Amino acid sequence: MAIAAKMIQQTGTAGAYPTTSPDIPARELTGSQIICEALEREGVELLYGYPGGAIMPFYDALTGYPSLHHVLVRHEQAAAHAADGYARATGKVGVCVATSGPGATNLVTGLATAFMDSVPVVAITGQVANPFIGRDAFQETDVLGVTQPITKHNFLVRNADEIAEIIHKAFYIARSGRPGPVLIDIPKDVQFAKAQYRPVVMNSEEYLRSQQPTPPPTYLIAQAAHLIAQAQRPLIMAGHGIILSGAYNELRTLAEKTNIPVITTLLGLSAFPDTHPLHIGMPGMHGPAHVNRAIGAADLIIGIGLRFDDRVTGNVSQFAPHAKFIHIDIDAAEVNKVKVAAVPIVSDAKVALTALNKAVEPTDKSAWLAEIRSWEAKDRERQSSIRRNDNYPDPVSILEAIREAAGDEAIIVSDVGQHQMWTARFYKWTKRNSHITSGGLGTMGFALPAAMGVKMGLPDTPVWVVAGDGGFQMNIQELATLQQEGVTLKIAIMNNGYLGMVRQWQQFFHNHNYSETPITGPDYVKLADAYGLTGMRITSRADVPAAIQKAIETEGTVIIDFVIEPEINVYPMVAPGAAITNMIEEA
Amino acid sequence: MGNMQMSTTIERAGHSNIPPDIARNYILIMLVNDRPGAVDRVVGLMRRRRANMQTLVMSQSITPAVVRLSIIVNDSEVGIHHLVEQLRKVVDIQEVISLTAEQAITRELALIKVSKDDANFNDIIACGLLFGAHTVDVTPETVTLEIAGSVENVEKLIERLQAYGIREIARSGHVSIARGNEQN
Repeated sequence: MAIAAKMIQQTGTAGAYPTTSPDIPARELTGSQIICEALEREGVELLYGYPGGAIMPFYDALTGYPSLHHVLVRHEQAAAHAADGYARATGKVGVCVATSGPGATNLVTGLATAFMDSVPVVAITGQVANPFIGRDAFQETDVLGVTQPITKHNFLVRNADEIAEIIHKAFYIARSGRPGPVLIDIPKDVQFAKAQYRPVVMNSEEYLRSQQPTPPPTYLIAQAAHLIAQAQRPLIMAGHGIILSGAYNELRTLAEKTNIPVITTLLGLSAFPDTHPLHIGMPGMHGPAHVNRAIGAADLIIGIGLRFDDRVTGNVSQFAPHAKFIHIDIDAAEVNKVKVAAVPIVSDAKVALTALNKAVEPTDKSAWLAEIRSWEAKDRERQSSIRRNDNYPDPVSILEAIREAAGDEAIIVSDVGQHQMWTARFYKWTKRNSHITSGGLGTMGFALPAAMGVKMGLPDTPVWVVAGDGGFQMNIQELATLQQEGVTLKIAIMNNGYLGMVRQWQQFFHNHNYSETPITGPDYVKLADAYGLTGMRITSRADVPAAIQKAIETEGTVIIDFVIEPEINVYPMVAPGAAITNMIEEA
Repeated sequence: MGNMQMSTTIERAGHSNIPPDIARNYILIMLVNDRPGAVDRVVGLMRRRRANMQTLVMSQSITPAVVRLSIIVNDSEVGIHHLVEQLRKVVDIQEVISLTAEQAITRELALIKVSKDDANFNDIIACGLLFGAHTVDVTPETVTLEIAGSVENVEKLIERLQAYGIREIARSGHVSIARGNEQN
């Protein structure tokens, strides 16, 4: 299910947007009812939100629209993350709702998360009534100002006549081009006001010309094909754009036709099967050594739908120093932002790859791949000689056991920190779009509410949360929402009693000064029980597979508290600002 | 290691590092929908992307409900092409064009309030006339001149009037339009 499959459908045919015969008679409705009508027309099934003073007229109207299933979260941040998770998993626009002031400001972290990772979310916030705006009214916040840098666009609705059009525009902006969050701020008096409602006929082309993906010019495709034919040590780097565009097959065709090894970034994981002979791994700060070495040796990088984030590049001037770049991205502002591209292609990934696949000739890069594999084998040999403490459940064995038991079906939602890097590295990603995490913003507390959105969007898919004991406590209140909605998640907490990633940095870069990183938590077995869920505590490696099996067999949400080795590290690691070929390895 | 290179060049996103003295000014002309928060987005984007605005002029355009902005930025902080692409993504910006000084006609208006006494009053007026300035206000202690013209001309007059004691200057900022058939 790709966001772009829908997007292209929307943008490719002019006027495919909500159109209706102008002879439908107008009806008098309240602003709140018009919001609901427009949401129904957008095909919204689920809203995550929390009522409050300035959004009450909307909640009043909502009960008249049973097709709009509202989920009462326990904190607005979780509403934004749940909408985000729903959108990432289903490719549809996620919707969250909050009241003015604190309700709206609580959405901010979730919107910023969606913005950084290009996820289509529409947020609807109540605002104090027009006469009170600018008077420091109760629960008044300048939400337009606050969310301006973290939304693709935001609207203040000035009167009820504007509502329907603005809602359709918001959905269009959220999902078109490079997707992102859009916020609609609606004053309370506008929600109450009556207006003539007629389903909107919208000319999105005219309003939103900058959002249209254009087909790449043929001369650029020819230049790219030429560089690929010339290259001795080329690499494909595939990012989130593959998933957003639904360009899985096109990526695979390019790789297989040219025999070029494929790297997937953190958000590109599961865009290309880990088990494919051409897949070599994840790049950057915690990428395996052979991937970063390959980048260091490459003479051509074909970057598709990624933005060369600093966690990928390390020191930019020493990133792929011998390589030319072909950079395909839908956002013109990303091309040439970090690395100057020899061939910059501003295009939807699927469209560009379809054209490129026709232009490239089959090539043989087996010697290059063999060289990378020999580096990989050496690393593996070295790692196998490292002695580990076998008493603790270790992160790799937990992930392997989940993979073993859940098979190819599960979606894994990880939080942020050490466990996130282990999950990215050691889970075998074969199911498309099965890896969901907060990449760009690195938002602790993301996993639990986002997984709730994933599961509600895809109820037949098993969904696992992998979280640390720090991040899990940041949105732990959502266990109540799971209980109220009867949503089933399987939750694996990697509990080391530390804010592990920060502790690791303190160990490496701050002279072992573990300042404010030791952390305690609740008894997760009792906690699960308190919420009417099932909890387990696992302290030995031998018990890991059985625990995971039991969690899968147990009905409802299960929390497994894996007590892992307290000071275990993520290896290899590139120090921030260092060249990615300069890695800290496990001794 | 990186710090030593920094002293002679400026690091810029999307560009090789440049010596500071070759950075140049660009004129950005934008047509922006007159919606709540639209101009905020432009100004906020400039700040977030580290582009320091030297002047910002906002006024009506020929289209109702569309505002015209002229902004001068120096590209030492951020590559101009990157900035233009970021601006193009702002939904309420209908159009962005980037011009160099040679591609644009740029004018400025200034109101200059100068201290006067009976002895130098005629000299001040004469100095203004030399630059095509009008006298718009006279009080026992001050005379206010209005000048409109090229930025250089305005600056030269200001320099000449320093001798008499300038009390206050109000400048319009740079008002620009593309030459002839240039885009826009």
